[in-house]
Amino acid sequence: MAFEKIDLDDFFLLRFKSGDELAFEKIFKSNHDQIVGFCNQFISDRDKAKSLTQEVFLNLWLNREKIETLNGIRSFLYTYAKSSCLNYLRHRKVISKYEDKQLQEKEEEINREVLESFDFNSLEFSELEELIQKAINDLPEKCRQVFIMSRYDRKMNKEISEELNISVKAVEANMTRALKTLKSKLSEYLPAILVQLIMHHIS
Amino acid sequence: MDYSIINKYLVGNASEAEVKDIFKWIDSDLENRKEFIQYKKIWALTAKTTVNQDENWNTISNKLARPKKHLNTINYWRVAAGFLLVFGLGVMMQYILPQKSQQQFTYLAETWIEVPLGQMSNVVLPDGTTVHLNSGTKLAYSGNFNSGERLVTLEGEAFFDVVKDQEHPFVIKTNLLDFKVYGTSFNIQAYPEDKVINTTLVEGSLGIIGKSGSEITRLVPGENATYSDDDRQLQVGKVNLDMYTSWKDGLVTFRNEKLKDIARKIERWYNVEIVIKNARLGEEIYLGTILKNKPIDQILEVFALTSSLKYQIVPRANERTLIYWEYKSN
Repeated sequence: MAFEKIDLDDFFLLRFKSGDELAFEKIFKSNHDQIVGFCNQFISDRDKAKSLTQEVFLNLWLNREKIETLNGIRSFLYTYAKSSCLNYLRHRKVISKYEDKQLQEKEEEINREVLESFDFNSLEFSELEELIQKAINDLPEKCRQVFIMSRYDRKMNKEISEELNISVKAVEANMTRALKTLKSKLSEYLPAILVQLIMHHIS
Repeated sequence: MDYSIINKYLVGNASEAEVKDIFKWIDSDLENRKEFIQYKKIWALTAKTTVNQDENWNTISNKLARPKKHLNTINYWRVAAGFLLVFGLGVMMQYILPQKSQQQFTYLAETWIEVPLGQMSNVVLPDGTTVHLNSGTKLAYSGNFNSGERLVTLEGEAFFDVVKDQEHPFVIKTNLLDFKVYGTSFNIQAYPEDKVINTTLVEGSLGIIGKSGSEITRLVPGENATYSDDDRQLQVGKVNLDMYTSWKDGLVTFRNEKLKDIARKIERWYNVEIVIKNARLGEEIYLGTILKNKPIDQILEVFALTSSLKYQIVPRANERTLIYWEYKSN
């Protein structure tokens, strides 16, 4: 289990559960951007991702009494975001980003697979988050800098290259390296194979 | 597959032709598909947008159902009176508090116990609490210990066996965290230079207090908490108790610890300096039990036999003995 020190307060959870809006505001502000970011990976329409996120938080507020632990909050948010995204992808016709309609379908199919294979079960999820954090911290220095600037600070490769005084190619190479390292370290915690998928390949 | 294209795709900069290539690669092999899914998952879990949070917060905060409050005139007065009272107290406190704290300080004459490097020691505090101090540890207890206030300050590692007293909690202050207990035994490792605090509870219950004064968490027996100042995270987990407490009996088990971390401990116990010549050697994981009361050359011999290191002892005139660790040459 790992928590932010400030968040690590039973009292805080109690306040939230009993309907303290200030506590909710804090939860909202420290998680909002990540949930929008998550939805945005599967739904490229930013405004849609934002409004889904609003729904997610509203439901957290309505279900606050059921939350058992502080880790449970993030696990609730991601679980709800996952099902909202899946719902959206299943039931709404999305305007194709690509001229090739088939490509759009393939992309949506794999997005659904990715979403479905996520397990946000409270305990395992906080473990996974901790592992990701650790894996990022363990990256070689440059690699880690590039990854954090790109993912968390939302900087463009060009900006990163200017700030770190390295070529854009080197930024790309570091990102690729970071991604590969993280993948190999986290592989067993990120199951990708689904029954549905295997069936698909047999048929 | 050119992985930088996958990266480009995830960022959202890939051209349609590139996306086509990626899906061709994904469809060609189940392993590729699996690999891609994992990349995408990592990407999604580390995603963060930068949006106008306040605006979004306002939207949602307007949707929260709130119980409506009817304030009548009497209630207004009550609220106003409440404000006045709080305000008044605040003003009064400013006058009262400084004097009080000055008075308190005169009581706080501290007694320091210092255990030099290479030695261990036991102390019995005025209330009967036993403390085993590991080498290189400092412990201070305040003068009004006898009047019931049980407060100690710790720098280093100590095993506490606290005498039960429900009315007077036993408080341990360290550089990063404080601990509050009512009768229990546990180990605390808080060497200031480590920037990490490690505590293990053997029996009873132990509250961990942040420097702000609020209780962060409460440990149950068999739990270990590690707090690191670098990432400001507290990790709580179940542990094998022997590993954290056996040092007081002179028996030390290293369970999957890095050689470089073990080296730091040996430095403390024996007052020597260990230089690890190969960085990779320092990262090597070690498992084994040693008897700490043995002379250093015997301990080093055990390590040489059970790991891939060899050592060299360099005695120095006015300094700590220097020991080199390096890979055995094959």
